[in-house]
Amino acid sequence: MNFFVNATMPKQKSGIEHAQLKRFELFNNHQVDSRIVLRDWDPVAHVNANAAGIPDNQLINMFDYFQEAVTVTPKTLHAQEIEFGVPNVQFADEPANNRYLVTAQNGQLVARVNYDATADKRVRSTELFDGYNNLFRVDHYDSRGFASLIQWYTTDNQIGTETWVTPSGRTVIETFNKKTMAGEFVKSGWRLIEHGGHVMQFDTIEELTKHFFDRLNDDFWSEEQPNVFVLDRSHLGDWGLLRLRKPAYVVMHLHNSHAGDAQDPMHAILNNHYEFAMNALDEYDAVVSATHKQTHDVNERFQPKTRLFTIPVGVVPDRLLQAERVPVARREFGKVIAFARIAWEKHLDDLVRAVGIVHKEFPQVTLDLYGYADPADNYKARTSVEEAIREYGLEGVVTMKGYTTEIDAVENNAMMYGLTSRMEGFNLAIMEAISHGLIAFSYDVNYGPNEIVEDDVNGNVVPYEDYEAMAQAMLKVLRDPDLAQRYSTGAYESSERYSEENVWHAWRELLDDAAAVWPAKLAAMPAHAHDLNKEAE
Amino acid sequence: MNYFVSENVFTFNSGTEHAQAKRVQLFTEQGQSAQYVTRNYNRFLARDAEAIGLHAEQVLNMYDFFQGVTDVPREEVSLRLLPQIPLDEYHIEGHGPNYSTINHAGRELARINVMPATVGLVNDIVYYDRYGNTTARENFDWRGFKSSVDYFHPDGNLAVQKMLNLAGETVIEISHMKVNGTLYPTMWKLLNYKGHDWRFNTEDQLFLFFLNEITAEHPGSILVSDRRSLDHVVADVQFAAKKFAVLHDIHTPDIKNPIRGKLYDAYLNVLERRVRDFDAILVPTPEQQADLQKRYSGVDFRVVPDTFVPQAQLAASRLRLPDRQAGNILFMGRLSPEKRPDQAIRALARVVKSVPSATLTFHGYPANAEILNELKALANQLGVTNSVIFGDYITGDALAAAYQRAQVIVQTSVAEGFGMNLVEAMSYGVPVVSYDITYGTRELIHDGVNGYVVANGAHGEMADRIVSILSDDGVWADLSAAAYDKAVTFNGQAMMAAWQQALQ
Repeated sequence: MNFFVNATMPKQKSGIEHAQLKRFELFNNHQVDSRIVLRDWDPVAHVNANAAGIPDNQLINMFDYFQEAVTVTPKTLHAQEIEFGVPNVQFADEPANNRYLVTAQNGQLVARVNYDATADKRVRSTELFDGYNNLFRVDHYDSRGFASLIQWYTTDNQIGTETWVTPSGRTVIETFNKKTMAGEFVKSGWRLIEHGGHVMQFDTIEELTKHFFDRLNDDFWSEEQPNVFVLDRSHLGDWGLLRLRKPAYVVMHLHNSHAGDAQDPMHAILNNHYEFAMNALDEYDAVVSATHKQTHDVNERFQPKTRLFTIPVGVVPDRLLQAERVPVARREFGKVIAFARIAWEKHLDDLVRAVGIVHKEFPQVTLDLYGYADPADNYKARTSVEEAIREYGLEGVVTMKGYTTEIDAVENNAMMYGLTSRMEGFNLAIMEAISHGLIAFSYDVNYGPNEIVEDDVNGNVVPYEDYEAMAQAMLKVLRDPDLAQRYSTGAYESSERYSEENVWHAWRELLDDAAAVWPAKLAAMPAHAHDLNKEAE
Repeated sequence: MNYFVSENVFTFNSGTEHAQAKRVQLFTEQGQSAQYVTRNYNRFLARDAEAIGLHAEQVLNMYDFFQGVTDVPREEVSLRLLPQIPLDEYHIEGHGPNYSTINHAGRELARINVMPATVGLVNDIVYYDRYGNTTARENFDWRGFKSSVDYFHPDGNLAVQKMLNLAGETVIEISHMKVNGTLYPTMWKLLNYKGHDWRFNTEDQLFLFFLNEITAEHPGSILVSDRRSLDHVVADVQFAAKKFAVLHDIHTPDIKNPIRGKLYDAYLNVLERRVRDFDAILVPTPEQQADLQKRYSGVDFRVVPDTFVPQAQLAASRLRLPDRQAGNILFMGRLSPEKRPDQAIRALARVVKSVPSATLTFHGYPANAEILNELKALANQLGVTNSVIFGDYITGDALAAAYQRAQVIVQTSVAEGFGMNLVEAMSYGVPVVSYDITYGTRELIHDGVNGYVVANGAHGEMADRIVSILSDDGVWADLSAAAYDKAVTFNGQAMMAAWQQALQ
């Protein structure tokens, strides 16, 4: 089985979730089975995963797994269906707080029921009070309609013991909040009561997760082929997956620069997320990066013996590759677009500056920014963009369009795409841009943009943080219709690198490697060490 | 069904529990259905019930009922074979007979405490975190299954108790929270019982729910309240055909004035506040019935037997003097001030002057440590240390053997409800020497026939009577035969008839 390991599959997805989903779809399209493995407890995991196209039978959440709730027939649980153990309770709706107050006949508060007003008032949690008005327990409900996490309160109103239960009411996971010798109140341990009756205790959730991986490895064990664990978030298993009791093929997938300063990949202090993995590099069976450039840098810096694979995290669908190409002449002259959150690391104020310079020669030029504004630091990134607009007098030229799903329409109409990020892991947006024939301009930023954009092929890669150079590159294209068409055609053609076939081929190489090394890994197990001799006889 | 309602069967029981157990045995012997019903959570109930001669089907505990474990045979599970411990990951390390630890990579994860008086059976497993805090405690039933799990507050006090069914699902949760600054169990929650949850502020409310359930399930049931602490619960039960309360003791500390003396507080419910909720109040002796009738003229008091002698016991051959231990004087009962065990020692001191070989054997648990020390000091002071034997609380065969060895039994109590141990002794042919006390003495002992009654507190006279029995084999033989005969009157058939009449 192929396991793609992540923490959750939230509604608001980052590049890692998008990469997983693309891969998941790719594997499904090629009839190679896989599972999205989510480690963190999430009461709406199934709602979000289903919405993202993951069916329940291909989703394994660690808590679901131990709660015997991997597949549960969902039902919408309403407050009125909950048993409080008190006869004839009254429900008073408080719509402003999205909750009911539940009282006994004598007027005593029995519970507060918090509901999801956007989902038919589905019960999210119940805060339960005893006969002496103590809040003694809070139950959190899974979206599928059962109490999943029960939090027991301490006498000083903190969360004490937390337990997860099966839909039938068997407690399977407990975690404890206790005082240290120094008097700090911390999460001090985990206890697992397994289906088969084994009781185990773990100091940390990492140890529990490691045990969970062992269980998955057992459940899907096959001597024919290895289980492949692709670790998409390092903290979930960079340690644990190296300590499985039985062998598997463990893949560390880099989704960002391994170096803290991506522009100094050979010497910068390591990205903290990957520090452990980079130091244990040869213990993984494979390391995947999304770009050849990063693979090259990892190889140069660490000189690992383990296999390095370059596998793009984006896929350009055949639908787009086969779509009719829009010639530059039919595009809106001078229309620059960018699909990115308006956030500090995207540095879009630089893109505004580049367009500002171009605007002086070509008043027709416009810039449309598609993406949410990041609220961090009181919308500082948006403020910077607005300041740059004022500085260059671009009111009416630069427009913040917000989020859109009309990607084809927007990208088939525009002419150019700009990227001025401070750092990138891959950047699906610029890959989509070239697949729509947009002429791409990017800073020389690691990793992704400076590989997806090929200088003088599908646009230009300009020096990092040099918006004047980007402006000059745009001006050249605007002055020269032939050059523009050559780059646009180059964009369409260079997107072939990310065709489903090519990306699948890259994964196939990794899976083939897994299969190729499996007999040796299997033979290294004491239980199988003598098998080869027997076969030889 | 006849339900006899009590708190518990204890490891050391008082006369109340023994009387209740005897009654269940009587009903069973006479073909009537009866159960000893208990409220308290007790992982040792199966052991303790067996010790007082009750089988699993004769006992019904509330927690067992909801846990679905009323009829689980005992399986001895050694801690080394406990299936829940993955021995390919953890080591079990022994630390002597009382406990072992579960170790992971050298670190202690948990302590397995051995069940008392067993070799390596699991009593409980206490798990702790890396800071040494107890995180969870798993409690095992005497019968070998995991019965409950406890969680703790940060200060180490009990926070949550979860009682489990055999599938490991929680069926009852007890949470402990503060009321006015003090930690109490504040909620009993019954989960998924017949598809519904119920919550209760007190254990007695849950017990009432339970009694309503079992009486509703068995229409026509009779409830008998045996414990004064539970009279108010039984009084509230709705579905019993009839409800009674049995008194096991005198109702007032003012022994000389049972008609007007101030009532024990514990008796207020059964005799005053809730008396109308009972069909009748049952007492062991006509004397107490008469006293109470004078006190509460409108109440229906009826007399019921406090004990009986089983058929097998009556059929056993009678033991003669040579079969016994010469000079063996027996004292059966709790060592507590109201039983006045010191007076038995004083009597013995006088007996040994005439019969140097005489010994006094106590069988009963001391109410506290001091009283035992005081009694030993007294024996020492009176020079009879070597003649006084402080035996254990015993039941079953050990108890029978004690009666078979005895030559005479003494009773020095301030007061008694009845004196069932005297009947038991007589069923083994042991003559009785007792103070003339309220209640039961006059009914049980015919002076000079099956024993002697001496004035209350007259331990010198008691000694003289004992000497006369021990020093004349003929006297002993006559008294013993009469004791055997007296015991026959407590045969099951007669006692059952009396009960049936009382429960009309």
